[in-house]
Amino acid sequence: MADDGDDTNGERLTEEFVDQWRGNAYGCFSSGHKFCREVCPVMEVTRNENHTPTAFHASIVAMEQGLVGVEDVADDFVHCTQCGACELRCPNSLMLGDFYRHRTRTVDVVKAMRALMVATGNEREGWKLWNERLAEDHNEPVLGDVRVSQEHVADWAEGLDIPIGGETILFVDCEAAFYRTSYTRAFAQLLQAAGYEFGLMREQWCCGGPAAEMGYVDLARKHADHNVADWRAVGAKRIIAPDPHDFIAFTEDYPRYFGDDYEFEIVLGVELVNDLVKEGRIALTQPVERTVTYHDPCRLNKRKGVHAAPRELLRAVPGIEFHDVDHVTQWAYCSGGGGGLPVEKPEITAEISRRRIGRAQELEVDTLISACPWSERPLSEAGAAAEQPLEVMDLFELVAQSAGIEVGGHTHAATPEARS
Amino acid sequence: MSVAFKSAIDDAVLDELRAIIGDDDRVLTNLSSRVNRTRVPAPFPVHRWAEHMPDVAVLPTSTEEVSEIVKLANRLRIPVVPRAGGTGLADGAVPLRGGILVDVKLMNRIHEVDLVDRTVTVGPGINMLKLNEELRRHGVFYPDDPASYPCSLVGGRIGAGGWSLLGARYGHTRENVVSMQVVLPTGEIAQIGDGGGRKLRKSSTGFNLKQLFTGHQGTLGICTEATLELAPRPETEFAAFFAFEDYASAWETTGILSKSGLATIAGVVLFDEWKIAYLRRDDEAYIEQPESVRAVVAVAMYGRRVEVEPASKVVMQLGRSAGGRYLGDEISSGDWASRHDRYAIPLHGRSTEGQAVPMSWHCEDAALNYSALPKVREAWHAIVARYRERYEIFDDWGMFAYTGGANKPWADYLVEIDVGIWEQRLNEETWSAWVDCKREIAEVTLAHGGSITACHGATRAGDAELVPTEMGTAWPVVKAIKRALDPNNVMNPGKQSLDEAYE
Repeated sequence: MADDGDDTNGERLTEEFVDQWRGNAYGCFSSGHKFCREVCPVMEVTRNENHTPTAFHASIVAMEQGLVGVEDVADDFVHCTQCGACELRCPNSLMLGDFYRHRTRTVDVVKAMRALMVATGNEREGWKLWNERLAEDHNEPVLGDVRVSQEHVADWAEGLDIPIGGETILFVDCEAAFYRTSYTRAFAQLLQAAGYEFGLMREQWCCGGPAAEMGYVDLARKHADHNVADWRAVGAKRIIAPDPHDFIAFTEDYPRYFGDDYEFEIVLGVELVNDLVKEGRIALTQPVERTVTYHDPCRLNKRKGVHAAPRELLRAVPGIEFHDVDHVTQWAYCSGGGGGLPVEKPEITAEISRRRIGRAQELEVDTLISACPWSERPLSEAGAAAEQPLEVMDLFELVAQSAGIEVGGHTHAATPEARS
Repeated sequence: MSVAFKSAIDDAVLDELRAIIGDDDRVLTNLSSRVNRTRVPAPFPVHRWAEHMPDVAVLPTSTEEVSEIVKLANRLRIPVVPRAGGTGLADGAVPLRGGILVDVKLMNRIHEVDLVDRTVTVGPGINMLKLNEELRRHGVFYPDDPASYPCSLVGGRIGAGGWSLLGARYGHTRENVVSMQVVLPTGEIAQIGDGGGRKLRKSSTGFNLKQLFTGHQGTLGICTEATLELAPRPETEFAAFFAFEDYASAWETTGILSKSGLATIAGVVLFDEWKIAYLRRDDEAYIEQPESVRAVVAVAMYGRRVEVEPASKVVMQLGRSAGGRYLGDEISSGDWASRHDRYAIPLHGRSTEGQAVPMSWHCEDAALNYSALPKVREAWHAIVARYRERYEIFDDWGMFAYTGGANKPWADYLVEIDVGIWEQRLNEETWSAWVDCKREIAEVTLAHGGSITACHGATRAGDAELVPTEMGTAWPVVKAIKRALDPNNVMNPGKQSLDEAYE
């Protein structure tokens, strides 16, 4: 909902927001130890106390006290990739989590505050434009000024003969459909090599997750409604999400939207491919002579606790030398590519990626393997710009190569004007 | 009286600050930047939040910038408040009179690792855990290990005069800072160490200024660079927890262990009956123990295997020598390993009706001799019980005593009573009751020959007014030093009763 210029409405929404999040905020405020600060990828760059998760919660208490309004803290709440490291590192989560499944909710607070920003006329310009384009084109404007469209949403699949519809649907992320198509081609061909049947949507819109992350809740919901209707129209029972961001949307946002009326099994791409390799349905026969390390995508590792399957899959590739960094150390790692940060604060995203590439280079590797297309754009740019360039590759691309698949597609925008 | 008062910083001052910093993003005047630099984890008077706001926050990146900022402040008599992590358990980093808050978090670089002469030189904004992640590959570590190890920063540790969980083995902050660069209250830059050497641990030239500049609570200057000790990474660690049926035998065992002469002992911790009762009541991670367990002693050792392994056998004998029962490997290694996370455990307390409520944690941190522990413990609990009877905002979370002497653990202790304060219910009456309670606790400490604070600093109401009493005949010396170094009282004014230096 856009600002209707009604101050009273803004005050009411702010009051409701504070009512909803006060208890969660006090859980942090009354402790206030800031264990989260040194694992926050944004804070590591800005070192600005306003950008700590602790400050996000304190700001809600300050709102309750009448010290600040939405407009005073709006810019602070842009400084978050929603990676979830703070929630894991929070002493409240660490010590109570095992017993009560308690988790300090900071990602949800950031999303809710951004929704309040939109509702009270405190939108950010970059996000506003981004979501206007989404509303018009139904996919995210990942090619910048080159418009994306439904007409081209399945161009990536050219020559692969993938049917439309069926019980199992492959959902393709916007970044992976238009920008890093090699990612999607590799994944689809791995499933085909295993004889795993799947189809595409009739009309695939954005999952709506990023819109929700930037506070555009109505737009996000509209896209969810469309996608679920499209799934139902073809009788889908199972949705495969190779992209971790989509996986979050389908396992967290959609169940909230649709409640009990949400019948789909959501399959995470990396776990599916790993299972197919373990079952012997995909044979990894071609050695890949690379020395690699693995970047834990935040939404897999920190948000969903998925860190074993990608490593298992990586180790299954013959010829690979793997210099691993454990997933807990990687709580502090990030590409900076999530939560809309690169749209509003591209310089911070670039610096987070630059530092992540630096970490990889300390391990004397020639390739950084990731498993999330949103991380791969800033990481690739940072890798290419490094003094000693470092190649960034997706895990599916690597596995496909080892399976002898000619992947095709591209790792960046097809035309120069569409590159970031 | 010449005192820097809450200032009205005008546009001309801001222009000068922007000219010094040269980057408007590092001169922060917006409300949120000020609101978020007002408090630390200790109980905070939420109803008086606005009184603690700085007028402007600056994020310098060099010693020279800090120097120019402080020169400006000194010239115009504007209060300056240094702030590093903002994780202290007293108010060193909390502005009392507005002014310029110098936030050093961006000064977090490692400038030099010297593996030959065993030092690391860093900016004050670096965190110890982060620093040790970098040092690990060299087989060395910086052994300053407070409970706030994952979040506190080197500059704050130096300003506060920090205490370390491993202090009995490796020393506390002041033993681990070899030298430092300090911007004095008039803006001059001084290299402070033992004598003139940057990497020397012992000298008799001039005065030993290093001690003066460790633990002044930000009232004598701002550390902008620190050269720190590098210790060999210990090959092994050993921790053991022993349970007791009464406090007296636990206290006796604490003495036996800390006087044992075992050089690898890094710390001995004594939990009293109230602490065990609190953990039993409200710590969800508490591993059930029989009701007969009423006090606990923990001991930890670090070093080479050849030292620690034989010594661990002696520790097991000594821990049981006065009735202690070993609590098993799970608790001993697990609870010790999670010591940093466990410190933030008091996330809630109980109202007098027994309702769980979010409470903030006050951690009293007196320095006391071993002999005084039993009596002080009784007196402190009685004080808190009296206040809890009258005000629902108080809760008693029990006491710890930790070995306090650097490398000499046998005689003095950091003694902590943890008091839960229900911040949401604070108002003028309850806040002033809390300050009175704190003052009574501190008076008991002084009556038993102790010191109000072992590491947090006497910077809060209730403590600060007793500093002259504690310092006694040394107080004129303290005042003379403060006046000499800070003629205009601009450096973190209002802390530790130092305004008296200008009367």
